[in-house]
Amino acid sequence: MTPRKVVIDCDPGIDDAIGLLLAFGSPEIDVRGITVVSGNVPLGCSTRNTLQICELSGRVDMPVHPGCFRPLVRDPIRGLFSGSTGLGRLRLPAPSREPAGAHATDFLIDTIDAAIAADTTITLCSMGPLTNLGVVFRMRPDLVRGVDRLVMMGGAYREPGNRTPAAEFNMLADPHAAHIVFSSGLPITAIGLDASHQALSTPERVARIEAAAGPFSTVIGDLLRFWDRGDVDRFDGPGGPLHDPLVIAFLLRPDLFEARRARVFVEHESALALGQTVTDWYGQSGIEPNVDIVTKVDADAFYSMLAERLAGRVAIPGQ
Amino acid sequence: MTALPILIDTDPGVDDAAALLLALASPELDLRAVTAVAGNVPLDAVLANTGKILALAGRPDIPFHAGCAGPLVRDQVFGRHSGLGAFGPDLLPVTPVSPGPVHAVNAIARAALASADQEKRITICALGPLTNLALALVLDPLIAKGIERIVIMGGALAALGNRVPWADFNMLADPHAAATVFGSGVPIDLVPLDTTFQALVTDDHLRRLDEEAGAAGRCFADLFRASDRSDPARFGRPGGPVHDAVVVAWLLWPDLFSSASAAIGVEYAGRTKGYLFADFHGISDLPINARVLRAVEEEAFLDRLFERLSRLDTNASQVSRT
Repeated sequence: MTPRKVVIDCDPGIDDAIGLLLAFGSPEIDVRGITVVSGNVPLGCSTRNTLQICELSGRVDMPVHPGCFRPLVRDPIRGLFSGSTGLGRLRLPAPSREPAGAHATDFLIDTIDAAIAADTTITLCSMGPLTNLGVVFRMRPDLVRGVDRLVMMGGAYREPGNRTPAAEFNMLADPHAAHIVFSSGLPITAIGLDASHQALSTPERVARIEAAAGPFSTVIGDLLRFWDRGDVDRFDGPGGPLHDPLVIAFLLRPDLFEARRARVFVEHESALALGQTVTDWYGQSGIEPNVDIVTKVDADAFYSMLAERLAGRVAIPGQ
Repeated sequence: MTALPILIDTDPGVDDAAALLLALASPELDLRAVTAVAGNVPLDAVLANTGKILALAGRPDIPFHAGCAGPLVRDQVFGRHSGLGAFGPDLLPVTPVSPGPVHAVNAIARAALASADQEKRITICALGPLTNLALALVLDPLIAKGIERIVIMGGALAALGNRVPWADFNMLADPHAAATVFGSGVPIDLVPLDTTFQALVTDDHLRRLDEEAGAAGRCFADLFRASDRSDPARFGRPGGPVHDAVVVAWLLWPDLFSSASAAIGVEYAGRTKGYLFADFHGISDLPINARVLRAVEEEAFLDRLFERLSRLDTNASQVSRT
């Protein structure tokens, strides 16, 4: 089987980092490049983290393209759960290489143009605010036909938000870009808090991943233990919702997910509900559905796969 | 004196045509590129019109780039005079001048990055909705640093709007982009309707072009007549404004203007989206981000404008008026 060609847009971020490691450990997908965006941490920091994660996996061949340094319209907000560097307590050696010269948006446009010219398509994976993709599809709305699907982490559909009662972080961080992407006509699978709150990194699951990771268990363990929200009241136990790796898991094992199609509108005018993904589950708007919303995740199977795929995929820093 | 390097982002538009022709008729300005954006008319018509104007001025060599076909977020609106659409062949002959392969957003970004370390950084004249500029400014922080200033035609401060009561067309058409540009940190000179309404082009001015101008100036006179902007009830006298040309005139003849610093903010949500407010007196805690042109010497401006348009060195013999 030919590996599926994907571009990953991300803002690492601990869960982005795990998502990248999962992608690198999965021969079914061919990552053509990584584009980075301002989000959890500022662009320089998310770019550095991406380069470090590539190096950790021995993927110094992977093109890493820095993208937009700020949201389209609003002022930047930052993540709360990845620490000041974006990688928790994990300290990795400085990257041995510079990021690629081409801007993320140029790389995306060229890659999709090339796919169209070759009469193929590409899959986009988004783990951060949708700024880069919003710019691309506002500049070139015709590129939609070169994308078979956008699988994105973002939104809170039946769940309440995480950064505000109304909004999930990625939507809140750039609601205007999200509006552009959701209005673009792209086929979209959305993995929101409805999905990720079913996939908590419980201590048992983290322990199994660490055990499988062998000599690299400290790296994975450092990242995942930092991720523990310690919010038993909200999540019915310890652990944290491991959002972004679900994007990659969906590509690998769609059978582990259930989704429902609906029309999603991103609120971008209200102060109170900014970034809310207002979902028309029952066709009240009369507008065609635009998003496949993941409603159910087989979390045990997801964590088993994660443990298996992360095993042996990480190079010991400095060696 | 070396010419001032400029880039014009535009959505022609008859008054855009006047601005482009004035820039091309002025040796003080070095027009490095023209970028086009949907605005007054849809992008296809904007591109056709821009090509025709460059051809009319005998300057098909000017790099010319197609940009965004619609605003960032809001529903698309077109200009009040969009009935004119693409300038018909009776007004301007069909031309093969068409945009190059580089997207307008990239062209703006490259022009800014290339001039960041130059003695004279690029000045951008923004004559349409600010979509292209906003996208360029979120790509890379160095882009803002490479722009000397942006001169924007937009805003209706004390004057009521033209397209809706609270806004001029450019701010109405993409208020989100306007918010991004005004918040970018790039120095901004603002040419609001309050100022452009002070200079009205009359039949006498157009007759002067008919009698004295080359083909380019005469074509412009026909274009201007075809989209009658006169509104005696509003302006109290005959004649119509030539908004975008005021932007270029400010670069050429600053002595004709008075200006004041202000903190400019843009409303981009709710019914009055596109409303642009100016705090001239520091009554808010908002930082000053623009110089607002408040008055123009009408007679001198129009006299100089039409003198330049009359003398526009065009390949007149190549322009056949069918």
